[in-house]
Amino acid sequence: MISFDVALTIALMGLATYSTRLIGFLAIHKLALNARATRVMEAAPGCVLITVIAPRFVAGNMGELLALAITMLAAIRFSLLPTVMISVISTGLVRHLWG
Amino acid sequence: MYSTSEMKLYRWAELKRGIRDAFPVIIGLVPLALVLGAQASKKGMSTVEVSLMTALNYAGGSEFAAIELWSSPPNIAVIVAMTFLINSRHIVMGATLAPLLKHLPFRKTLPALFFMCDESWAMGVADARGSSRFQPFSFHYYLGVALLLWFNWVAFTSLGALIGPALTDIRAWGFDMAFPAVFLVLLRGMWKGLKFALPWLVSLLIACGSWLWLPQGWFVPTGALGGLLVAYLLGGDR
Repeated sequence: MISFDVALTIALMGLATYSTRLIGFLAIHKLALNARATRVMEAAPGCVLITVIAPRFVAGNMGELLALAITMLAAIRFSLLPTVMISVISTGLVRHLWG
Repeated sequence: MYSTSEMKLYRWAELKRGIRDAFPVIIGLVPLALVLGAQASKKGMSTVEVSLMTALNYAGGSEFAAIELWSSPPNIAVIVAMTFLINSRHIVMGATLAPLLKHLPFRKTLPALFFMCDESWAMGVADARGSSRFQPFSFHYYLGVALLLWFNWVAFTSLGALIGPALTDIRAWGFDMAFPAVFLVLLRGMWKGLKFALPWLVSLLIACGSWLWLPQGWFVPTGALGGLLVAYLLGGDR
């Protein structure tokens, strides 16, 4: 069912990941932030989000870029659920047409 | 002042609002979870092992990387180092939550942080920042999003491991584009003009370059830190 090696790997992965979730929180906890640090904290969510999806901008062919462009336009215009539906459907269509 | 029962009702309503808002995110997560489970079982992991990994680690990007690197026996050092590197963005994410959660005790915040993923964090922060009026971070809204997403992730990765590799072709259908879609909508919600967005652009460019030219996984810390550095440099002149 589960081997020792696998259990150990999973336990250490879990510890590594939980530590990333705690380190930043504990470092800033109850610290008064100055204006510059506040500016950094305000920019941080966007920096992380755009970084995570960055490979989409360079990984694919023209079809993938077209799907991404449609998704961006939808995201500017619509709320979460319609954007996700437009994005998934148009990406599926584009991929089938591009083969 | 509110009575205890009114507070309870309010918290319950916020929890339900979080659960409801998380459903569009699940459209993208379910197929991804099925693919991860199927690929893991193809690499020889049992269903119990897959459930345990996704429940205890609970960070999809690092789990895909671990499966990619999986061997029998697994190379523990490489997999754990890779996991830390890919999830290093959580350090920044946790730091942004600290000022929003400082009124709450550790016995609430530390367990809640275990369930922090890109989506639950971003939705919690966007919920607090997005509205024009001042609205504090809603802890129970965050919990609603976070707990539903965790349960969903563990359930569907396990199901993927059970029903197996027949599912791998699901990626061709377009569901994976749900993530950029969710993230772009959240980014639009945080948009405050071009100058404010300059660090984001820098993050995007550095992450793209790192993805193309650096070893696997490095684009996450380089992209995030590059943008933060620009925000720091711009910070003086507000």
